[in-house]
Amino acid sequence: MEALALKLMNAVPALAGVPLWVMTLLVMVVVAVILLVFALTFGGVGSYVLRKVAGDIQARIGPNRVGPYGILQFLADGVKLIMKEDIIPAKADRFLFILAPYLVFVGAFAAFVVIPFGVGLIASDLNIGVYYVMAVTSLVVIGILMAGWASNNKWALLGGMRAAAQIVSYEIPVGMALMPAVLIAGSLSMQDIVRSQGGLLGLFGWNVFHNPFTFFSFFLYFTAAQAESNQTPFDLPEAESELVSGYNVEYSGIRFAFFFLSEFADMFIVAALAAACFLGGWHVPFLRAEALPGIWGNLLSLGVFLAKALGIVLLMMWVRWTLPRLRVDQLMRMSWKYMVPLTFVNLLGVSLWLLLFRGKGIPQLIASVF
Amino acid sequence: MGLREYIGDIVEAVVTTAKGMRITARYGVDAGEEVTQQYPEERREPDERFRGFLHNDIARCTSCTMCVKVCPVDCISLEAVRGADKKMVLVSYDINIGRCMYCGLCVEVCPPKSLGHTVGYEKAMFERGEMVLQFVHEDAAEIKARVAKQVAEAAAKAAEAAKAEAAKTAAPGTAPAESEKKE
Repeated sequence: MEALALKLMNAVPALAGVPLWVMTLLVMVVVAVILLVFALTFGGVGSYVLRKVAGDIQARIGPNRVGPYGILQFLADGVKLIMKEDIIPAKADRFLFILAPYLVFVGAFAAFVVIPFGVGLIASDLNIGVYYVMAVTSLVVIGILMAGWASNNKWALLGGMRAAAQIVSYEIPVGMALMPAVLIAGSLSMQDIVRSQGGLLGLFGWNVFHNPFTFFSFFLYFTAAQAESNQTPFDLPEAESELVSGYNVEYSGIRFAFFFLSEFADMFIVAALAAACFLGGWHVPFLRAEALPGIWGNLLSLGVFLAKALGIVLLMMWVRWTLPRLRVDQLMRMSWKYMVPLTFVNLLGVSLWLLLFRGKGIPQLIASVF
Repeated sequence: MGLREYIGDIVEAVVTTAKGMRITARYGVDAGEEVTQQYPEERREPDERFRGFLHNDIARCTSCTMCVKVCPVDCISLEAVRGADKKMVLVSYDINIGRCMYCGLCVEVCPPKSLGHTVGYEKAMFERGEMVLQFVHEDAAEIKARVAKQVAEAAAKAAEAAKAEAAKTAAPGTAPAESEKKE
């Protein structure tokens, strides 16, 4: 951020008089706004795509009234949510009730800071990137539990408790499934992890193809992430048919919109992490994005990264409309008896592989033969 | 749980998920015929015995009030007065379709079969009052006045006739008696 501010001040003479800290702050605000706009747009368009995909899979049509092919449906929904009456139940804990949706959204949005969108496009390349994402997305649990408690409603409370139990349980497999990428890169920084997957035509350097264990690791991460972001086979906190809609029953209007948006933001974060840690992040196949001139390299890598992340989002939606919801005990059994041991075994496998083959993956080994 | 079962569970989960996703993918790419009916433009053909809004053919209605008595939700209200020819004349016949639950009991019970179901079902309205369907369009007071007039006329006629009769019986052996003889 400071470097960017300095560059700007050097490039534009009119800005020379502005103090560095003001400029840095300005750049930070601009970046935050860009990310926020991206998150909001994704939430809107994502909800439209989700409904269209659901429609296609269930032989329905989906939204098709507002604008061509119903593409403006999300704007109509957004306007509706903003204009709706904001209801706070009489016996709710007002302070917590009001605070909860923002906390949930902050938890989901803060993770955007370390998402590597392109060669140089990252809000802040923290050296503990992966750890930061894991930590900050856990804030969502507190918000959800808070919403459930503050609503003073039995369904909301049950939903909140389920969410807490579920997210805490699946945090472990998610973390453990991401570890192989960290081991291979030797760093927790997102940019380092992405850079470690370059070379070999920009395709075979991906961590998924590194060795059999990382391949399984990707799918384990995908499953656990689906659970951590409360999506359908694991959407017990919401469970329309049993809990009405879980922790957000009592919410309406703009506060509900925040829950809704953070759900989609969470979905994108999870998909972006999968793309960055396993699918080569912003590496363009058959091309070296870093070697291209700044602006083109950034744009191209941004496009490729978004394509990968959105592809995974689409895959998540596909799973979402395929599998029925699990029971609570099945959900817990799956986490503690299957996911956790498997991810640990996987981690051990990757470590052994790295030790035995001196950090080289299968494609690299094959390449070294020639 | 043995290791064999444990691994079997994992394999089953993966295989069944893959199977399910193949099916949904096939539908996602080409679902064939869409099952959605785009309502205001496309409408479903009503079934033969579809129970829609009630309709009363007041020309056939005998004002027997069976429908009013049988209605479980009291949505029918009826007012009738006795006419000159001793038959009931409907003054008002209202059905509150906001209350009606389409059970069809009134239709079953109707002796002259004047009450029936239509295929209408759209009752989005601007005011609640619009949901009360009125089948007698004339003003109730007017009908009452007219019927009262008719009844009065009939009564006057009857009185006159009675008077004539009385006159006859009072003076026997005159013209009417002759005519009776002729017949």
